[in-house]
Amino acid sequence: MTKLGLGGITGSRQAFYVVLGLMAVLLFVPQMHNGYLENLFRGILMYGAMSLGWNLIGGYTGYVSFGNVVFFGLGAYTAATLSTHGIRNVGVAIALAVVIAVIFATLFGPPILRLKGHYFAIATLGLALATQEIVSNLDYFGGGTGLTVRQDQFFSLYYYVMWGICLVSLLATYAIARSKLGYALVAIRENEDAAAVLGINATRYKVLAWAISGTMAGAAGAVFAFANGFIDPETAFSVDNNIFPIVMALLGGVGTVAGPVAGALILTAINETLWSHFPKVHTIFFGAVIILVVLFLPRGLLYLFRTRLSPRIFLESLRAYRV
Amino acid sequence: MRIQNVGMRFGGLWALSDVSFDVERGAIVGLIGPNGSGKTTLMNVISGVLKPTSGSVVYRDRKISDVPTYDVCKLGIARTFQIVKPFANLTVLENVAVGSMYGRNGAKRSTSQAFDASQGLLERVGLARVAGKPASDLTIPDRKRLEVAKALALDPDVLLLDEVMAGLNLAEVDEALQLLRKINDEGVTLIVVEHLMKAIMLISTTVVVLAEGKKIAQGTAAEVTSSQAVIEAYLGSRFAERQAQLAEIKRQAEVAQQLERGLP
Repeated sequence: MTKLGLGGITGSRQAFYVVLGLMAVLLFVPQMHNGYLENLFRGILMYGAMSLGWNLIGGYTGYVSFGNVVFFGLGAYTAATLSTHGIRNVGVAIALAVVIAVIFATLFGPPILRLKGHYFAIATLGLALATQEIVSNLDYFGGGTGLTVRQDQFFSLYYYVMWGICLVSLLATYAIARSKLGYALVAIRENEDAAAVLGINATRYKVLAWAISGTMAGAAGAVFAFANGFIDPETAFSVDNNIFPIVMALLGGVGTVAGPVAGALILTAINETLWSHFPKVHTIFFGAVIILVVLFLPRGLLYLFRTRLSPRIFLESLRAYRV
Repeated sequence: MRIQNVGMRFGGLWALSDVSFDVERGAIVGLIGPNGSGKTTLMNVISGVLKPTSGSVVYRDRKISDVPTYDVCKLGIARTFQIVKPFANLTVLENVAVGSMYGRNGAKRSTSQAFDASQGLLERVGLARVAGKPASDLTIPDRKRLEVAKALALDPDVLLLDEVMAGLNLAEVDEALQLLRKINDEGVTLIVVEHLMKAIMLISTTVVVLAEGKKIAQGTAAEVTSSQAVIEAYLGSRFAERQAQLAEIKRQAEVAQQLERGLP
């Protein structure tokens, strides 16, 4: 037995090191001078960061948010708006996106995080849709037609920055899962009443978790705006950007450090393969994959690291999580 | 600690009405009463989980109802839940460590200090053998022990125990009683709700009896068990009446005997 019980709440340690190793490899993708690959892997890193963000509130704290895309969209719009004013420094854009995400979470967190379960999920979804509507109706943000984002710096910079955001999110999640904060979040997920009696101010920690979660998505959004060169409400607040991070976390392992990044890699790989082989019906296969994972591997692929592989695991999971 | 005229209403039902008693420092107060008499509700009010509709609980000159639930433990009040609330996906040790990290002295402890302190507590309550298991794997008696360990992790001055002995066998009840006495010897005031009369009578310095949300008796174990109101509450008014009738018949018989003896 390690000092922190069952290896603590970080999830499988090996999986974390494997993902760290993968991150090191991903640093060299731009050296291949292949535009397609660079785009693909920048997408993976972006989703990795967003999924890590979602995992903090949805996985660790147990508040299943369907509105984290709001932070991503606000981050993207922050970068785009700055760019229209002649400020094209990606660092400044990220910093401002983070500040906005924190303000947004602190403002809307206390009322929304009072809700539980389905109610919280619906409220966050409503928040995302409302924000998208507001942005599309403000001419200052280009309305429905969107904004062009000028890229001054050499293009691969955005890849490296996205890589950095994903890595920082990964390490931050690891640090949180090993800290008191991590245990407060998990205690809230497991039983909020019991957590309160043990001295945990649930509202404070939930808002904090959501703010950190938003920081990760917001930063990714800012870089996305630069890399994409163009932002409109449909892309910034897209359903894909809302759902993919959640599915990735589920696929990799909810409430583990490495799960979301592993999930982002695997899901993108599946998606790309299906898309290139079955261009017309790939979404059907994609949907099937999601359903199979939820049914047979609700604890995520990384759970397989912790147990011996046998068909029993799948059947047990199917039974254990049946409604 | 003073419990002053506490009333608690749920819709049209007064679960508690006008309950008052004082808890002396270092006492062991047994709280008993038939099912639905308001014992757990009173525990919820004292621990700040419920705000009373009327009256107040005052501890060290502070009204508990003015303190947020998560700060009550910082005053030195800890509780267990009758319907146990373990963090199912955390290990037993982690469950207790969360209390160590966020309880009264939590701010002073690092994560590893919290784990060390918790390990000691698990040994005290007899859970060291399952420290690394997820809490969801525990049996009911072990879950009750876990509740006690979690509450102790908060370093309380007042410990509220809500039916922690339910489901234990006789030997285990003895162990539990010894543990409670030891905790009390260390200066912790105990308020104990328990269905096991024998256990409560053995350990309590004062017993408070609730029935239908009202306090019907208070005193030592002996005083309370001989109280007419308590017998009525537990065994029904007809039983109490019959007991009274029996006593009357016995008395009359004695009078008759005396008279007989008094005759020449």
